[in-house]
Amino acid sequence: MEGLFLKKVLITDDAAFMRFSLKTMLERNGFEIVGEAENGAIAAEKYKILKPDIVTLDITMPVMDGLQALKQIKAIDKSAKVIMISAMGQEGIVREAIISGATGFIVKPFKEETILKVFEKL
Amino acid sequence: MAEILDETIEASEDTQKGKFLTFSIGKEAYGIEIKFVTEIIGIQEITEVPELPDYVKGIINLRGKIIPVIDVRLRFRKELKQYNDRTCIVVINIKETTVGLIVDNVAEVINIDDSNIVPPPQIKAGFHNRYVRGIGKVGNEVKLLLDCDKLLNDEELDSLNTIEDIKY
Amino acid sequence: MPEDGVVREPMLEIYLFEATQLMEQLEEISIECEKNRKISTEAINEIFRIMHTIKSSSAMMMFNNIAVLAHSLEDLFYFIRESKAINIDFEKLFDLVLLGIDFIKGEVSKIENDCDADGLSEPLVLKSSNLLQDMKKANGVIIKDDCQAKKEDTKYYISSYEKLGSEIKQKYLARIFYEDGCEMENVRAYTVVHNLKEIASEMYHIPEDIIESDDSVETIRRDGFLIGFSTLTSKEKVEEQLNEIVFLKELELKQVEEYPLELKVLKAKIEINLEKAISEESVFEKRSDKLDINKEEVANIIKSGKQQSIISVNISKLDMLLDLVGEIVISEAMVTKNPDLEGMTLDNFNKASRQLRKLTNELQDVVMSIRMVPVSMTFHKMNRIVRDMSKKLNKEVELVIIGEDTEVDKNIIDHISDPLMHLVRNSLDHGLEDKEERIAASKPPMGKITLEAKNAGGDVFIIVSDDGRGLDRGKIYEKAKLQGLVTKPEGELTDKEIFSCILLPGFSTNESVTEFSGRGVGMDVVKKNIDSIGGAISIESLMGRGSTISIKIPLTLAIIDGLEVAVGTSKYTIPITSIRESFKPKENDVIADSEGNEMIMIRGQAYAIHRLHRIFNIDTEVTSSNKGIMVMVEDNTKVACLFVDSLIGEQQVVVKALPTYIKKAKGIAGCTILGDGNISLIIDVSGILDR
Repeated sequence: MEGLFLKKVLITDDAAFMRFSLKTMLERNGFEIVGEAENGAIAAEKYKILKPDIVTLDITMPVMDGLQALKQIKAIDKSAKVIMISAMGQEGIVREAIISGATGFIVKPFKEETILKVFEKL
Repeated sequence: MAEILDETIEASEDTQKGKFLTFSIGKEAYGIEIKFVTEIIGIQEITEVPELPDYVKGIINLRGKIIPVIDVRLRFRKELKQYNDRTCIVVINIKETTVGLIVDNVAEVINIDDSNIVPPPQIKAGFHNRYVRGIGKVGNEVKLLLDCDKLLNDEELDSLNTIEDIKY
Repeated sequence: MPEDGVVREPMLEIYLFEATQLMEQLEEISIECEKNRKISTEAINEIFRIMHTIKSSSAMMMFNNIAVLAHSLEDLFYFIRESKAINIDFEKLFDLVLLGIDFIKGEVSKIENDCDADGLSEPLVLKSSNLLQDMKKANGVIIKDDCQAKKEDTKYYISSYEKLGSEIKQKYLARIFYEDGCEMENVRAYTVVHNLKEIASEMYHIPEDIIESDDSVETIRRDGFLIGFSTLTSKEKVEEQLNEIVFLKELELKQVEEYPLELKVLKAKIEINLEKAISEESVFEKRSDKLDINKEEVANIIKSGKQQSIISVNISKLDMLLDLVGEIVISEAMVTKNPDLEGMTLDNFNKASRQLRKLTNELQDVVMSIRMVPVSMTFHKMNRIVRDMSKKLNKEVELVIIGEDTEVDKNIIDHISDPLMHLVRNSLDHGLEDKEERIAASKPPMGKITLEAKNAGGDVFIIVSDDGRGLDRGKIYEKAKLQGLVTKPEGELTDKEIFSCILLPGFSTNESVTEFSGRGVGMDVVKKNIDSIGGAISIESLMGRGSTISIKIPLTLAIIDGLEVAVGTSKYTIPITSIRESFKPKENDVIADSEGNEMIMIRGQAYAIHRLHRIFNIDTEVTSSNKGIMVMVEDNTKVACLFVDSLIGEQQVVVKALPTYIKKAKGIAGCTILGDGNISLIIDVSGILDR
């Protein structure tokens, strides 16, 4: 859906650094970061309020991890576009996420080009 | 005067090369590169600070910012002149340091091409030659172009700044 | 945060900030766990998460030595978590973790100082993997393979609508190559399969195992991912869908009559198994409901209490805010005390200006409170030092922390950390006796060091005390005399005065230089640090019982209550907290000694006089004592009188630093802008009394 407006993104990660990196990369490339969440529970809450076009979810987080958050968000909105941010060694969880409806995934550490390739297709 | 200065400051970095603000001390005319000058103000009340070299007159309140002021006459070991309403403070900023220079009066901003600048003669005695980085020819006149960096950061200045702890 | 104005790239800034925070958190958890000899599930998870985060961030920032170390520690705690290991050598484990923390802190420090993070983490990584091996053996546990229970049998996927009979379905063969560096190609291939399921009625692929096997990643990278499938969907639509694949480097798609041999083999295998499976009533379609791996984490732990609402704000913004508030305070005074208003009756105006004053005061309080930070972080850092040192010195020591919630200006916190460390080290090293000595002295075998913080008026007190052997007044006096640091006879000096000799540079009574405290090098540096934030140290001690060192620091450097005084045409501000009293002296009260030093007698005590006009070389007509005013001031150890022309009034002033270009004279602490725009220099009482 091409539009005049920037695509809105909600970034979820318990590490401020990761949120910042992702935010910087996305903002540089025409995405609007409408919110940040430090864990899955907050992400689900914010999803309801902010209704972003895209959500990124880190997998390992306190309180509620990425996989759980994915399911909650999908329950709120079947068509939600969710990108999982995973680390090497989390293949099993990523597969689960795909089954649960994740749109795609990126493996840490990532570069800007990598992020873009995924986001361009959304 | 302020208008001329504003115009030139608004010009881009590149076109500032070769633009100098000229002012006079006694009979001599000096120039400093416009890029260092942030503003020019009239002389105002100076608060003395103890134990400073004589040419550092003290500090002034510039819209809430405290800046030190140097009397250029004294820096050049000339006689102190009474300040009058033509006396100006040229506020310069180099490498994060802001200082005000007290000068007799400010003349104008002029362009001096590199081709019209020659290095200062080595023979001339005068103390203030260490601060002159070149001599600019403007028509029939000559302007002594100052090295602002040296003016502020001479070693002599540095050694005066370090006041040793008094042992007790 | 950089203090010298050096601006770092924001991403690096955040990385360093977060890494430092996480290391401090980790240290605290580790020491706690080690002390209690147990690791709760919460702790394991937290430690794991911290290592995981450091691993990822460090890799992103290309600090690979840190990333690799974090990874190995992550693996360690992953094992502990998954295997629910019970045989854990706590000391070994946390020794390693603490070494890891030290390494990472060290590298972070290097980066902060613009040096290369060139430390080698290999030795620690090796240690870590050895420890992991040992733990595995000690726990004899094979990590349960949870995966098997959950996996979907994609290998054998056959759509349910196959049964409905074949319509015109077309067979396709696709080979997918992924871009280099996209990682987890096996999972990406799985995604393709997962997505194709919706349109395909059968699918066979090579590599077969894209779930369990890591080798499949290599195969896919080398030969591409080969899928044979049949579908009703048109070729254009199929192509479109496949082209949507993220990180697609190359796609070969063609319609085929028959699948190639290698896929046919798979098909045959599957059909055999399919029959077997159906007969065994294994449930194909049923998804494994055991997807809630982390249920326990979700269940109880909405830790709303622990997660405070905090945002991190750039310090420079806070500084700007404080500056502005300061300006408002001055402007407010300029308006309400404007000379233009003199003599006018302004009831409504006065009422309004009182309200304005009230609001500006409130604003000031709030802004200053933003900069206030509790001392707890700094105090807790000491835990580590006590732990390490008490181990090395073989002394049992307990660290008691009181009043950690006491708040201090952020600027100040940074300056007390080092002094505190010195003091704690000194207590541990020299103050506390070892076990035998303590028992012999009828003291409890465990030594106690107390760190206390409390508010008192406009100051904060930080007190470090121990119950060790205390200071030897006689010894200290002797040493001081030897070094030429005192001239008066011992009897004339108070305990406080003698004890404060240890703060003088070049002083030491230590017979041996220890690894930790050196030859008394610490104490004068401590004093310097404290002086630089406008604080004061005083020392008390009782032989055999212990010592107490009290540090008094101003609540904030930014705004102080001052007394304006005039000296000639200059105005000076004396901090109210340093003033005892002020009075007009009588000519005869002032006496001079043989060297010309002036003194004044007040209630039987003699106080030295410091004439500001002489000290600062100011022209003034007020030179005879009875024409001016005496202001009695005190610092940490001395009390004296300052002679000024006249008092102007009490005023709250915003402290501004003198421009760095001007090095301040001893006795000037800074300056402030008065309501009328003039500048007043702020007196540093300690500096004047030391002259």
